[in-house]
Amino acid sequence: MPQPVQHRGLTLLVPDNDSEWAEYFAHARAHRLVMRRCSACGLMRYPPTHACPWCTDLGWTWQEVSGRGTIHSYEVVVHAIQPGFRDVTPYPVVLVELDEQRGVPTPDEALRIVANLVKPDGRMEDEKAVAIGKRVRVVFEDLADHLALPQFTLTDERPESRVWRLPE
Amino acid sequence: MNSLRDKYCIVGVGETEYSHKSGRTTRAMAVEAIRTALGDAGLRPTDVDGMLSYQNNDSTPSPWVAPDLGIRLNFYMDVVGGGSSTEALIGLAMGAIEAGMCQTVAIFRSMNGYTEFRIGGTGARAAAPARGLDLAQRPFGMTSAGQNFALTFMRHMYDYGTTSAQVAHVKVAHSKHASQNPKAFRKERVTVDDVLGSRWIVKPLHLLDCCLETDNATCLIVTSAERARDLRQRPVYVMGVAGRVSKPRVDFHWAHGPISRVAGYYAKDIVFPQAGIGPEDVDITGSYDAFTFTTLLQVEEYGFCKKGEGGHYVSSGIIELGGKRPNNTSGGHLCEGYTHGMSMVIENVRQLRGTIDDSCPRATDGVHTYDYSEGRCRQVKDPEITMNLGWAMPATGSALIMRR
Repeated sequence: MPQPVQHRGLTLLVPDNDSEWAEYFAHARAHRLVMRRCSACGLMRYPPTHACPWCTDLGWTWQEVSGRGTIHSYEVVVHAIQPGFRDVTPYPVVLVELDEQRGVPTPDEALRIVANLVKPDGRMEDEKAVAIGKRVRVVFEDLADHLALPQFTLTDERPESRVWRLPE
Repeated sequence: MNSLRDKYCIVGVGETEYSHKSGRTTRAMAVEAIRTALGDAGLRPTDVDGMLSYQNNDSTPSPWVAPDLGIRLNFYMDVVGGGSSTEALIGLAMGAIEAGMCQTVAIFRSMNGYTEFRIGGTGARAAAPARGLDLAQRPFGMTSAGQNFALTFMRHMYDYGTTSAQVAHVKVAHSKHASQNPKAFRKERVTVDDVLGSRWIVKPLHLLDCCLETDNATCLIVTSAERARDLRQRPVYVMGVAGRVSKPRVDFHWAHGPISRVAGYYAKDIVFPQAGIGPEDVDITGSYDAFTFTTLLQVEEYGFCKKGEGGHYVSSGIIELGGKRPNNTSGGHLCEGYTHGMSMVIENVRQLRGTIDDSCPRATDGVHTYDYSEGRCRQVKDPEITMNLGWAMPATGSALIMRR
């Protein structure tokens, strides 16, 4: 089993038998954001699960995606629960909707992923910069030889939907 | 839809004190809560032969508790779970009795939720390694219930223009109710400004948008309507129940939106047809209020108002005592104490009996003043039907409709 990874006081365990996450994070370490794509119906899914949630087929391949998307929702953690996050408060958590496969196979569905919104250098983004509707791209936080976390950072692309943040 | 409407009753309820210092084990508290409920029902320990509980490795299982009460079990099960378990277990108790496995079931939840295991994930829980699905959230500093739910709440504000001030009215209403509840842990009434002025926990949640954490145990007893007729209290009948109904992709529910939709959207289609009523027939709601927002989201999904109009509904006075449909007349988890949903069912049972334990001198005889000013009455006048809206998370919920 690969060594557990320490991240902000938290132990990340990805055992060898967990091919979903082990391979996902290994791709991330090579700075590729990948989704599992069903061999039968062709739909991609996140998180990287064992079976297709739509057709239940067990066949799959890894598919790289652009890593571009839109902030679908966010929160700002002011009171950290995990001790290792206390020195980065207030920190933003974003739900990013990726550009690929939006509204597929039904209008309510999309590839959505939880991450932190970070500056291009990897530090947590200022909370005033976070808003629903803003455009983002993936960046990678390297934590070990076999593991990196996909994070997201703002781009200067024009938002395609309404931009909103919680009033002060 | 199959229904056991009116065939089963809640016949006894009981709880311990809500505190930050129980100074005793969850076993000791469970025994007190169950003894109280037995006494309330007029049942002897030998009349109970089934037991159900729920916990997250933070409590004492049924087989350790039953002997302390002189109960020999024909059926027991201790399930993993927090919010939404109460209603689900009432349904399971009915099923166990219906199957002939046992005759009368005590359901309990016992937790030192402040002094031992805090639900927010502080202490030992924060240190647990992240693996499996946890890897999709916890590495990003998303651990506690508030952190897990805030994305849903924020998106509701975006989708529908819901404001922090509207949502704060849930806390305001529940605090008024708690001021009439002698056993409430927080009895002081608060204002919208108090909520908005309290410190941020995880935006959009202020401290006072979040529920209490307390030590306590609760119990309720389920048996058939036939047996209920011979017992001490006026029977309260179960009209309909839905347990842990879930959205699609419940493992990672953000994959299937709208993310501002919660599980009640699906549960309503089970529980209302069973009961043969609609939301307009409900006199009192008991909505799981882990946060102010959870009440707002659930009243929308169950059809007490239109989707998106929850902000107006909760700030209009409807949910306050004296309003059209009071919610959490005990003060709920925001003010009375935190017991993972059972306390709100207990409250509705007492409301339907007409024997709310307020400060009216003859409350236990069912004599009330209906004066809802501070420190006075919290009995609703002649309620006929109540509904509990149980919440585990945005993607999972339970529901229970009862009548007198």
